[in-house]
Amino acid sequence: PETYLQLHSGQPPGKPELIRCRSPEKETFTCWWKPSSDGGLPSNYTLFYNKEGDKAYYECPDYTTAGPNSCHFDKKHTSLWMTYNFTITETNEMGSISSQPYYVDVANIVQPDPPENLSLEFEKKVYGKYLLLNWSPPSLGDIRSGWLTLEYELHIKPEGGQEWEKIFVGQRTTYKMFSVNPGERYVAKVRCRSDHGTWSDWSPESFIKLRKEFRLKDMLVWIF
Amino acid sequence: FDRAVKLSHYIHSLSSEMFNEFDERYAQGRGFIAKAINSCHTSSLTTPEDKEQAQQIHHEDLLNLVLSVLRSWNDPLLHLVSEVQRIKEAPDTILWKAMEIEEQNKRLLDGMEKIVGRVHPGDLGNEVYSRWSGLPSLQLADEDSRLFAFYNLLHCLRRDSHKIDSYLKLLKCRLIHDSHC
Repeated sequence: PETYLQLHSGQPPGKPELIRCRSPEKETFTCWWKPSSDGGLPSNYTLFYNKEGDKAYYECPDYTTAGPNSCHFDKKHTSLWMTYNFTITETNEMGSISSQPYYVDVANIVQPDPPENLSLEFEKKVYGKYLLLNWSPPSLGDIRSGWLTLEYELHIKPEGGQEWEKIFVGQRTTYKMFSVNPGERYVAKVRCRSDHGTWSDWSPESFIKLRKEFRLKDMLVWIF
Repeated sequence: FDRAVKLSHYIHSLSSEMFNEFDERYAQGRGFIAKAINSCHTSSLTTPEDKEQAQQIHHEDLLNLVLSVLRSWNDPLLHLVSEVQRIKEAPDTILWKAMEIEEQNKRLLDGMEKIVGRVHPGDLGNEVYSRWSGLPSLQLADEDSRLFAFYNLLHCLRRDSHKIDSYLKLLKCRLIHDSHC
């Protein structure tokens, strides 16, 4: 049987761990850590880092912007194509302990926000009928200057359907889907990525209900 | 210019896939990433590290930087193709990607030289490039050291191909679309 040791005075902290870093737009980034198992006492965290090509160590510039257990790096503190080496130290009144080093190149942790304003419309032109899908890039990120280039993936299906039709659309923010069934309700979602990086989360799903068509055959019967 | 951007996009896609494949297969738990700091042969070339720096640099200088980085990879890519064949159980996909990157890198360099020649006739950046001296380390007898040398080269290749792709996409928007992409 297990025995439990009761300590009234608390313990030194366990080992904290850096779990993830993400840059939403290739210009700033944030890293998050997991607090160690609780030593029973309030803990303080300090994050130190050093950058490739620079011998000095610096402390996290901003512990607050991105919420608890995080460190935010603004534009001034963000460089691409160099490895950052992070160590997080947890301290309580009984002692302190540091994490394993964690290595990150901001170029490899770019994950944009999801695309926005996905709309579905039914259009009828002389060359055919189709479903027109439009969306916008996430508002965070400089697309205009070309610093951030996004590629999109679209998923669409009839509402009750089992499988999504997956369409890689490249850099366009519009798509025409020709093979649609009248009377059906369609659901679609879209996500994006930059430079072969990590896909964003999915946009919220958008829906459209297509009207049943008044078929020409029925009309002929009715006329004659 | 459009074709150059497509090519650089393609090369970066291949080199990140190749790095990921190699990393999963050979580098797990070996701590290679810590050793790979400060060890790219192109790190002597000073290149922009964020958007502001890249935007401030004159387009001719940025084009010449792209040329220098591309030239610096001619030699290592050639050796990568021949040495990668000697890695034990190297999957064909890695070999194929190394060959494809080598070929496409030459095409991109040719194309970029033509573009720079048109923008600035007569001056091709004085053939500036950074020399690579990593061949002996790709041929080391000790497997761990040899695999690290490959890891490092592929890590640098992914980094540089991403730089080139990013600079060219920025230049395309600046020169052709007047920064209204």
